[in-house]
Amino acid sequence: MLEFSRRALLGTALAAPFARGAAAQEGPYILGSVFPQSGPNAEYGGVFTAGVQLALQHIEADKLLKRPIRYISEDSQALPQQGVIAMTKLVNIDKAHWTFAAFTAVSKAVAPIGDRAKTVMINGGAVGPDLSGLSPYFWNVIPLAHLETRALLPYLVGQGKKRFALVYVDDPLGDAILKELGEQLPKVGAELVGSFSIPRDAQQFGPVAARVRQVRPDAVYIASFGAQQSQIIKGLRNNGVSQQLCSYSAMNLASVGSLPEAEGMTFTVQKVDYAGGDALTRRFAEDFRRAHGKEPTVYNANYYNGCRLFGLLAHELEKTNTAVTGDSLKDTLHRLKKFPLVGGTGEFDAAGNMMAAIEVVQWKGGQLVKLA
Amino acid sequence: MLFVQLLLGGVQNGALYALTAAGFALIFGATKVFHVAHGSAFTLAGYVFLYGWTHNWNSLLSCLAAVLVAVAFGVGMERLVYRPIQRHEGSFFTVFVAAFGVSIVVQNLVGVFAGRGFASIDTPLSNASEVLPELFLADVFWVAILVALVMFVALTLFLSRTNAGVALRALAQNPDLLRAYGLSSSRLSMLAFALGSALVAPAAILSAMTTGLNEAVGNHVMLLSMASTIVGGVGSLRGAALAGLLLGVAESVVLVFLETQWASAASFLVLFGFILFKPSGMFGAAVAK
Repeated sequence: MLEFSRRALLGTALAAPFARGAAAQEGPYILGSVFPQSGPNAEYGGVFTAGVQLALQHIEADKLLKRPIRYISEDSQALPQQGVIAMTKLVNIDKAHWTFAAFTAVSKAVAPIGDRAKTVMINGGAVGPDLSGLSPYFWNVIPLAHLETRALLPYLVGQGKKRFALVYVDDPLGDAILKELGEQLPKVGAELVGSFSIPRDAQQFGPVAARVRQVRPDAVYIASFGAQQSQIIKGLRNNGVSQQLCSYSAMNLASVGSLPEAEGMTFTVQKVDYAGGDALTRRFAEDFRRAHGKEPTVYNANYYNGCRLFGLLAHELEKTNTAVTGDSLKDTLHRLKKFPLVGGTGEFDAAGNMMAAIEVVQWKGGQLVKLA
Repeated sequence: MLFVQLLLGGVQNGALYALTAAGFALIFGATKVFHVAHGSAFTLAGYVFLYGWTHNWNSLLSCLAAVLVAVAFGVGMERLVYRPIQRHEGSFFTVFVAAFGVSIVVQNLVGVFAGRGFASIDTPLSNASEVLPELFLADVFWVAILVALVMFVALTLFLSRTNAGVALRALAQNPDLLRAYGLSSSRLSMLAFALGSALVAPAAILSAMTTGLNEAVGNHVMLLSMASTIVGGVGSLRGAALAGLLLGVAESVVLVFLETQWASAASFLVLFGFILFKPSGMFGAAVAK
């Protein structure tokens, strides 16, 4: 049995109120994000940041950590070059403990920088399949595109869609989805009847619509993001493409849902039950609605989870007075594997990918309706 | 039929490019100011129209507001940015960087106030229907052609039949002689900016209906305007307008022969072709050195 002297107990009691202050004197934990805050993809930056900020508020309110957190937001413009500049600053100058990345091309560009600096990078927005295993310090809290398409295609084929056309942005994400559809469609008894690559800055989709109509598809898969994906939807619908439109979780944006041309757009998202889920999920949803006056999206939840994951891992390390570094965070992730996160228990595999259930949804009247 | 479809689509886009390119060419030709912020006038006009539309303003009032804002922006740039710079130093690069800076500020302000991301107008005008087998046309096609024609006829009449128009052309050719005749180059510069900026408003309004807007849409407009000015011949309004039309058609029709990825590149292939083989452009005068 452990015994404490009165003096030791008294000393501990007296020191307790200052313990947090002493820890705080070590300086704050630095969290940094490489999100687009300007340009045609800036809407995502706002959505991602809102998730991180709510998690920071909850970590602070719950007094989860002894040291404060300083959050630094860098603008990637969703461009690899800008992302590299931003990430270099975060790891070399700001000495970030934990970073957030988004967009497949940007994530692939910044990963080697974080890898060299042994800084954890969290992706909650990009879905390129090759983001899995990019670095021991690069973790995904979002299901990647190959998992999304494997959930979507059987559903659509079941609805009688056999001929698919793909309009895809010419970047690593688009290339990955082209490859995935090429491999997966024959497996489910369907075929890719046409693929139409577009540059990232393309804005005119009337001519593309004419080419899409020519291949007579049953469904058109759109693999793009940001303002461009809405332009594609409008461009196709306004120019005589009346077939089923489908895509991946990037369509889960308010600006897409409010687009009349997006009516019936079918896509996949992570399954999160905001109303009937666990207490953490309900708290997240309620506080998000209070702060922003609207329903959260899975992107909000993903980056909330990404930030909360830091809180949980650092909390574990603080308990054992272990320094919070990329390696110690990584080791703790692999040791614990399961974490209480928004949407339920998040379990990570050896490559740092969080497993998540996926559901097929559709935009109907500006609302997201679950299909399967 | 694919060729006809792409050709008509290209004409529709080209008509809008022609308007923005003519505006840029008018400003550059008359004042020699490389107005990189021309795309910002497009962005502002589009978003003002969008604001009016979403707030149920009368359509004409929304159009008028868009034109006024574009004109105010152009005149404001001339008065508050270009003129002070030219008074002190006036180097090409200072003007370029200042205009570029303003366009970034505008882009961010639009993002802050109008929201970041895609915005468009839902109107039956932009919904295409099948007019012939495999040929889809929307009413906005006819509107774009008509608006472009009316604007160019009005501009041509203004430049050829009014004193102010003739003076504007004179400013482009010989500003010193213009001053010798007691005319104010300062006022004429302002007029050039006002007219040039007004020309982008119809294109911005129609773009809000067809391709939609985002806060960075001006960058694309600016690139096309510059390319059209070079292809058409620097200083030639008619050349810039025709070049705008040509680029619009080129980036559409090229899809008959090439993959969709090459649509945007087609415009710039045309530009390179002119730079290499006819540097003076379609209507520009060759200059011997």
